[in-house]
This record gives sequence, C-alpha cells and structure tokens, in this order.
Amino acid sequence: MNKIINIGLTLLAVITVSSCSNKQKPGKIYMPDMTYSRAYETYSLLDTTNFSINREDAENRRNAFFNASPVKGTVKRGELFLIEDTNDSIGYANSSKHVNPVTTFTKDELAEAGRLYNINCGVCHGEKGGGNGPIAGKIGAVANLNLPLYVSMTDGTMFHSLTYGKNNMGSYASQLDRKQRWMVINYVRTLQPKASPAKADSASVAKTK
Amino acid sequence: MSRFRKIFNKSFVGLLLLTCLSLSHKSFAADGEALFKSMCANCHKPDKDYTGPALQGWKDRQPDGWIYKWVAAPGALIDPYASALKTKWKASGIMTAFPQLKKDEIDAIMKYVDEYKPPVVVEGPKNSNDKNTDGNSLLFGVLTLVFALIAFILLQVNSNLKKLSDEKIGVYRSEPVPFYKNKTYLMAGVIGLFALGGYFAIDGAIGLGRMQNYQPVQPIYYSHTVHAGTNQISCLYCHGTAQDSKHAGIPSVNVCMNCHKSIAKYEGPDKLEREDGTAVNGTAEIEKLYEYAGWDPIAKEYKADKNNDGVPDGAKPIQWVKIHNLPDHVYFNHSQHIKVGKQQCQTCHGNIQEMGEVYQFSTLSMGWCINCHRESKVDFFNKADSTGNKFYSIYEKFHNDIKNKKLDSVTVEKIGGTECQKCHY
Repeated sequence: MNKIINIGLTLLAVITVSSCSNKQKPGKIYMPDMTYSRAYETYSLLDTTNFSINREDAENRRNAFFNASPVKGTVKRGELFLIEDTNDSIGYANSSKHVNPVTTFTKDELAEAGRLYNINCGVCHGEKGGGNGPIAGKIGAVANLNLPLYVSMTDGTMFHSLTYGKNNMGSYASQLDRKQRWMVINYVRTLQPKASPAKADSASVAKTK
Repeated sequence: MSRFRKIFNKSFVGLLLLTCLSLSHKSFAADGEALFKSMCANCHKPDKDYTGPALQGWKDRQPDGWIYKWVAAPGALIDPYASALKTKWKASGIMTAFPQLKKDEIDAIMKYVDEYKPPVVVEGPKNSNDKNTDGNSLLFGVLTLVFALIAFILLQVNSNLKKLSDEKIGVYRSEPVPFYKNKTYLMAGVIGLFALGGYFAIDGAIGLGRMQNYQPVQPIYYSHTVHAGTNQISCLYCHGTAQDSKHAGIPSVNVCMNCHKSIAKYEGPDKLEREDGTAVNGTAEIEKLYEYAGWDPIAKEYKADKNNDGVPDGAKPIQWVKIHNLPDHVYFNHSQHIKVGKQQCQTCHGNIQEMGEVYQFSTLSMGWCINCHRESKVDFFNKADSTGNKFYSIYEKFHNDIKNKKLDSVTVEKIGGTECQKCHY
C-alpha cells in the first residue's frame, strides 16, 4: 500500500513540476528581495506603503515610477537655455526672431543630426524631406520641407513647431533636447534646395497659416 | 516634282504636329500624377475626404477658373463657397498656397484626379494549415506508445510460450514472476523516473528567476509588427532613451499621440491576433490609448485640464507590464550597448519587429551575457579616420600587438568584460 502511495506521489510531483510553464506568468524566483529593487528604480512598482502620497493616488496612476516631465524652470546640465515663447499664435509669430545658436558644426555633428532626423522626422517627412516617409500617407498633411514655404521659413519658427507641434505634428520636446532640435533644423537646411531671393519673396507673401 | 514636295512637306508638318501633340499629351498625364503626389497628396485624396476634401467632382462645385484662384492664394479668396470651405475644414487649417503652380499644371493635376480609380485590394487565401506540425508530433507520440505496448505484450507472450515449451520437454520452471514484481522492469522504471525527475528538477531550478518566453497580457494590445515592421518606425523613435541612459525608456503617451492624433482607425494589412488566436480590434485598442491620453477623438483636441494637475482630465500613464527584469544585483546599461557597443536591438530582443505581443526572447542569464562578451570584438579608436571608441585608448598596447601580428583580435573578456564588478556591485 505504501509503495502505491509513494509512486503516486512521485508521479504527481513530476506532473506538477512539468505543467507549471504558463507564458503569461513571470515565473518563480529564488529571493525576491535580491531580484526586485527596494531602491527607487524606473518603471518598477512603487511599494505603495512606503512611497505613494495617498491611497487613491496609488490606485489611480502612481503605482509605478513613470517618466515625468522636468520640473518647471529647471535646465538640464549641458542643455541650452529655454526660449520663453508661448504655445499659441502669438508665440508662433514671435518665434521667427530667434536665431539658431548652433551655427558651427563639424561633419560628425551633422551626421549625428542626420541620424536624429532619420529616426524622429524621416518616418513622416521622408529621408530627403519630401514629405513622403513610410507613414506620411496615414498621418496626412505632412509638410514637404522642400517647398519654398519651408525653405524661407526661419529657424526660429521651425524650432517653435518642433517644440510645441503644429497642425498634425506633435511636440518633439520630449524626444529631442533643445540643442538636438536646432541641429536637426540645420540638417533640414542641407536637404532643402537653395532659396533664390525672388522665390523666397513670393513664398512669404503666400504664407497664410 | 514640286507637287510631290508640297505633299511631302505638308504631311511632314502634319506628322510633326501630331507627334508633338501626342508627346505633350503624354507628358501632361505623367506630370499630373507626379505633381499631385508631391504637392497635394499630403492633404488630399482623389476619392476620399482626408485632411482636406476629396477632389473628385470639383468641376461641379464651382465655375471654371475658380480653382486657379484658390490654389494660388486660398487665404485671399472670400466668396461664399471659399468661406464655407474654410469653416468646414477649420480643424485642418487653411490650405497651403501654391502660387508656383501654373494653370496647365493645375489642369494636369485635376485631370489625374478625375481619372483616378482606387487600386483593387486582393485578399490572400486564408491559411488553414497552421496547426499541422502540432498534430504530427502528437501522432508520433501515440505511435510510440502503441509500439511500446505491443513490444511489452510480445515479451509477455514470449516468456509464456517459453515456459510451455520448457514444460513439454520436462524442464521444470518456477511460476513466472508478474511483471510488476519483476526486478528488471522495476529497475528500468525506477531509473526512468529518476532520470525524468532529475531532468525536470534541474531544468526548473535553472529556470527559477529566468523569464524566457514570458509574454504577459498588456493593458493595450500594441503590435510591434505594425509599428516597427510594416510602418518602419525606428526603435529609437519611441525608445529613444536607450541611447542615452540605462533604461530603454517606455514612451510616454505623448509620443504615441504624435501619430495617433491623426490615426484613429486601424486599417493596416497585418492581422492583429493574440497568442491564443483571438482577433484584436485595432481601432478599439487606439480608443483605449485616447482614454489614457485624455484625448477627445471627435473634437480632435485634448480634454480641458479643470483640476489643474498639468494633464488633461482623466489622463493617466499606461501601466505596461514589465517583461525584461534583471535581478537587482545586476547592473545593465542600454546606452553602453547601443551607443558604444553598437549592438542592434534584435541581438538581445530577437525579431521584435515581427512580434504581435512581445515576449522575452533571450534567457538574460549570466552565461548568455558572458558568452556575448567573450565573442564581441571591441571597436578601438582609429586615429586615421577618428572613428571608434576613445575610452579604451589606454589599451593601445593591444592595438600595437595586433599591428605587430602578436594577436589577431581582442575579446571583451580581455579588457575586463568578465570581471564580477562589471555587473555585480
């Protein structure tokens, strides 16, 4: 009788061990306190009893450390200073007077700007700025940066559009820091055809937006 | 003679005219398409409303000649139809002016628009033979069992027959031992169980803390096949911090909204399916995103921020389930591997651009890390074209050794890539 029970138990153990591979569960670990950080760690779960401000907050939106926007008025180390323009038509109109602070750039820096352009902009505006990137057809109203309108547009206005977004385009302030945005604008200039003065005039007259 | 010349001349001129006409006609048709695609297609579709109105039927809406004025300066036109247009398409803004387009170019574009027919979509045959391989392995298993049973019965029959024949000859044999008491069978069974149990026990023990193939259900069905595969969005568009920091950042909702402000419906060619085969409604998943973002898809704007917390009311971060988790005692930095080591995302994460639901591709075990560090070559600083990694310039000795043919390459291990403190500290 004992023997049968033993055999049965062994079989049961084998079956249990072999059947607990559920892909949707993370699985077991040896020592949880060595695996899951007790210290602050990005994207890890908050220990609600220790960190969260109040219970409701914890349940609604703060059970994990998400990426937060920078504290207002702070400047990251090595970052260019903030341009105080507002996200509206007044700020947009005002933006043209801002001068691109990144005036000299090496070949490497331009290549880096091109890389950033291809990652963040090329998907809509196209590798050559023609407004024909892989998903341009799905977004709609993607600007062809080689049109006279954009050739004559000032760097400052482009910077405003990159920072706050324009029409269908969103803000790229979270993806490119200020220097990178100016660098990308420099790169766009290298893609564009050289503006002839007459053309630039007619385009600025036609600027209706 | 002169008469012939006259006829020849006349016909030649006529032919020339005809050729010119037909050529110019052809170039117009081609131009129309090219012009439409470069100037208009970003906002207009010939047969459907898009950012701007559908263009087909333009002739019936306004008298001849109106379109030239509109294209040249849409902002300046103030007739009732133009005003109505501007009100109806307020969300898109006023159309960009194209003063550089000539009348014949506009004619060519509109001709292309009128003749445009949407391409016919051919649906591929449904693939119903997906499960065949699974069926085969089951069949083989059953066959093996059946053969094992037959072999066992034959063995029994054999021993019984032997006993009978022996008795006939007169050799006495003791009563046969039933198979469950037969020591050979028992021993084989015990060894088999021991091997099986040992295999599972060790396999399970090694697997503890490793989450290979972990594929949790995420709050939104986000398909990398659609985004990184079909639409060719760079990995670094969303996970840009992978090149700057320890973490390959999970994009905040505003990054999703860069595109999904405009894309509210899923109309892609890829079939969205969960791992268990249930179909996924892409449009419903995008609506979930709008919930998180606090975006009103009908008004096409973010909801108001009445409670002054800096985000639209009701907006909250998406709680994605973290898949890749290294133990707390291991330090891993994405930027070191992406920017300095120039590794592709796929090296560790597998063919992520083909994953509907993401799973952990690699074991992320220590042996797996060490193995790659043993094999990967270091890209040293090259003075000639100033490329490569300056950090290791103190290892110029290795460089010179290679030059002098003392070494043929340097592995990561040789520059300290397997020191314990590189990962454990």
